[in-house]
Amino acid sequence: MDPFQGRRWVIILILILIGLVFIFRLLFIQVLDTKWKDRAKNITLSEKSIQPPRGLIYDRNGKLLVSANQVYDIMVTPRDIGQIDTLALCGLLGITKSDFNQKIIKATSGYNVSYKASLFIEGMYKEDYAKISTALKKYTGFAAVRSSERGYPYQTAAHILGYIRKISKEQYNNHKNDKEPYFKNDYIGITGLESVYENELRGKRGKVYYLKDYKGNKKEQIQENKPVKGKNLYTTIDIDLQDLGERLMKNKLGCIVAIEPKTGEILSMVSAPSFNPSLLSGKNFSDNYKQLLNNDSLKPLINRPIYNDSYRPGSIFKLIQSLIALNEGVIKFNSYFPCNKQIIGCHNHEPPYNLKIAIQHSCNPYFYQVYKRLILRGENSNIFIDSRLGLEKWRKAVQKFGIGVKLKTDIPGVKKGLLPSLDFYDKWYGKNRWAFSTIYSNSIGEGEIGVSPIQMANLAAIIANRGYYYTPHLVKKIGENGTKKPEFLEKISTEIDSSYYSPVVDAMERVVLYGTARSAKIDSISVCGKTGTVENKSFNDHSVFIAFAPKNNPKIAIAVYVEYGTWGGTWAAPIASVMIEKYLKSTLSDRGKAKEKKIEKAIILNKNSDFTF
Amino acid sequence: MSRGKSIWKLTDKYLLGFFLGILLLGLMTIFSSTYEGGDIDFFDFSTIYGKQAVWVLISVFFGVFIMLLEGQFIKNSSYVVYLIVILLLIGVLFMPSIKGVRSWFQFGSVSIQPSEFAKLACSLAVAKYLSSVNVKIQDFKTRIVVLLLLAVPAFLILMQPDAGTMLVFFAFIFVMYREGLSGNVLLYGFFAVLIVVIAIFLKASETENLIFGFQVTGNMIFVFVLLLLGAVLFAVIKLLVLPRYRKPRYKALVWSLLTGIAINLSINYVYDSVFKERHRTRFQIMFGIVEDRRGDGYNMWQALSAIGSGGNSGKGFLNGTLSNNKYKHVPEQSTDFIFCSFAEEWGFIGCLFFIIIYLAMLVRIIMISERQRSKFTRIFGYCTASILFFHFMINIGMVIGLAPVIGIPLPFFSKGGSAVLTFSILIFVFMRLDAERQKVLR
Repeated sequence: MDPFQGRRWVIILILILIGLVFIFRLLFIQVLDTKWKDRAKNITLSEKSIQPPRGLIYDRNGKLLVSANQVYDIMVTPRDIGQIDTLALCGLLGITKSDFNQKIIKATSGYNVSYKASLFIEGMYKEDYAKISTALKKYTGFAAVRSSERGYPYQTAAHILGYIRKISKEQYNNHKNDKEPYFKNDYIGITGLESVYENELRGKRGKVYYLKDYKGNKKEQIQENKPVKGKNLYTTIDIDLQDLGERLMKNKLGCIVAIEPKTGEILSMVSAPSFNPSLLSGKNFSDNYKQLLNNDSLKPLINRPIYNDSYRPGSIFKLIQSLIALNEGVIKFNSYFPCNKQIIGCHNHEPPYNLKIAIQHSCNPYFYQVYKRLILRGENSNIFIDSRLGLEKWRKAVQKFGIGVKLKTDIPGVKKGLLPSLDFYDKWYGKNRWAFSTIYSNSIGEGEIGVSPIQMANLAAIIANRGYYYTPHLVKKIGENGTKKPEFLEKISTEIDSSYYSPVVDAMERVVLYGTARSAKIDSISVCGKTGTVENKSFNDHSVFIAFAPKNNPKIAIAVYVEYGTWGGTWAAPIASVMIEKYLKSTLSDRGKAKEKKIEKAIILNKNSDFTF
Repeated sequence: MSRGKSIWKLTDKYLLGFFLGILLLGLMTIFSSTYEGGDIDFFDFSTIYGKQAVWVLISVFFGVFIMLLEGQFIKNSSYVVYLIVILLLIGVLFMPSIKGVRSWFQFGSVSIQPSEFAKLACSLAVAKYLSSVNVKIQDFKTRIVVLLLLAVPAFLILMQPDAGTMLVFFAFIFVMYREGLSGNVLLYGFFAVLIVVIAIFLKASETENLIFGFQVTGNMIFVFVLLLLGAVLFAVIKLLVLPRYRKPRYKALVWSLLTGIAINLSINYVYDSVFKERHRTRFQIMFGIVEDRRGDGYNMWQALSAIGSGGNSGKGFLNGTLSNNKYKHVPEQSTDFIFCSFAEEWGFIGCLFFIIIYLAMLVRIIMISERQRSKFTRIFGYCTASILFFHFMINIGMVIGLAPVIGIPLPFFSKGGSAVLTFSILIFVFMRLDAERQKVLR
């Protein structure tokens, strides 16, 4: 008998043990742990993202404002660069050797990695690319990718449209966890409509999945999610009017805002000085941007209609004072206050027998009295407390005009303006240390009130509408079949009876016919307006004018600011009249043309500005 | 009763079934891993699967031929086969080297690898020698002769150099064990391997612990643990074992401890002073201490990804996306890493089936060996089982990341004519010998 017969069981046991170890290991790799499955996906799947075309932007009449120009980006994959003649390549691309090295360093640092393609040369025009395309094929590691760049057929409205830019590292990180994150070479809207409607304009990326082999060659397409094109924006802008406005404001500082009162649609919004939007599109962005930002003391990048909310409204504010006072019943149409020039100065004019005359002549002492009645209502014997009660009531009434509140518009960076509250004066003077006598300069729109031009244009629209407004906005609809955003369809009332508006409107008509704004008169159109002069200590005063036309059933409301333009009637009023005439009649009368010419030629700039022509 | 019929009747149908099943499974896997689409052309030498199919056919013809031979003839020609193979192994060293290795005789598009035949030759020679009258494994001389029989071809193979194939000769330890070699050898071996693995792992972890102000590496702590364990065992022996049995136990314990400590100390030295950084990295990857998907860890990473992607039930025949010629994500996917193709396409359920029938075949071989009256047949059977098992263990262990990456084929699966021929002959010879078991008296 073989004594070692039993040893077969030991051997069989070893076999089975090893088998069990393998089975458990495989169970772990294949079933329990999903890690290796994910890694396999990483290895085999190649995912190609497809960038949809960005939405285009049209004006209110369907004219194309922002188009797409086809350009070529030269991409580099540093790992794949073979033995190449660097100097020849530099010559081909028109760059220097140090540029080349710098670009390569950039393509391998930061969030760029050497085995992925990074941007090497941005936005080469079609014609330029055609010249080098065959030669470029020799250089392994370099490839051209077709892309598109914003084009501007009208070369205007830079501030409204805004610009797009390759996403910065910071923005990239901010959006990293979004549902639709950005890719490192994506463009993103930085200002204007491009930034406000970024999500609508950019569309949705598509993806194609390929199976790839070990070399990375795509072998088979297995899945595709089609990209969704960006939606087009249909704006409220009338590009012809905008173009005219920019021409009128050439060589001036200031802005124009024109609104359709019935809808709140912004017809044009000019900020001067302006710049050609093409400057901030494509490859020369950095240089041009730096130039605009630093080398130009006139700060063309600022969007003045919303940026400066500390313009004091001046005389124009008297319109609001009148309406509130009538509504509160503290004055009547025919209330009379003498123009005594005791506290506030005034110019010589006929006695303000009624409100109309007072508005027409912009009588300061009259409105001193009006404001006094608004603030001191005798509700408390203590004038300090009485002033507090009055100010609070008055402030709430003014806010109804969209002043001292943020308009919920689609212009980025819109500001509140300044409307003094109790806290403001308490902080300034101390509680119960101020009364009407302290704050009376508000009565004529000086003092502590600040209004942005867009708020002024909105005021013109309110008066044109006799008591309500729609939030001024720039976009009619998003996408071909889109509708207007609901917040822009909301009618906002000043809660002042429309009958109180008629003396104000009449007075404004008279201002244009016989008063300070005769320069705004148009023979065929009844224009209602009011000039303002914003005091400016350093140089000439700013010329301000608001208007709407025609008087009955107004189609356009406008505010014009010309900095250092001295009187409201000097520059702002004629500019407004040209705009109004152009919009309502589409062609200018001879008188209008003469005005246009004269304005266009004028150079109105602060002599302290260090600029050269 | 005609002779042919009796042979068919006496052939073990289970073993034949397992063998043919695995052969087919292997061929199918080779096909899937190398088929790149287009016309399927079996028996065409220009495709890998066609070549393999031809080799399988040749193997089966050889098998039928072997089945017609006399068992006694096979037994008698053992030493002759051994000598021929040794001559081939010497001869191959004078062949031109392919990828730095002189392993092949090249005849046109056909290449022959004599080191594969060495597995058969050694099995025959060892079986023949150990089954001779008056040879006892307990004799020192016997062991030396067996060792020489194995060491000569092993050395020649190492000269090629082909360390992977050389390692296969360690498989004979199972045969020796069955034939009466002390089980302690197996145990010591196991114990040593365990200590080596733990020590390298602890060392490669490169964790340093501060003990009494001294920087102490993990494997040095392991030495303390071993000493502690030794002390405990010493106490156990003293308390529980009868005095007359104590001495050999103490001896074994002391030897084991000394071995363990020696291994640890030498690993500590070798790792720090002899190894280069890349060696260290390789070990760290093997133990999963660091992950490296590009450099040394590339093969493992790709292989495990392929296997893992199979999931529960696999992607289906020809549907693999990693381990085949079309995608080539797994290197060596038709040779050493062929199991990836199988695991990817058939998933865990397929792998389970594969392991079970593979081991079932081996167990069947062992069970058949044990029913032999002929010592030669039994030893030869154990040789066959051991060699196949060793390949299975090292190859699968490597592919699933449990063993170091050693180039060793998976029998009946990996591409290679000489290999499939050798493994088939081993099985056929064994079946032939088994069919004759009734005739043999001893």
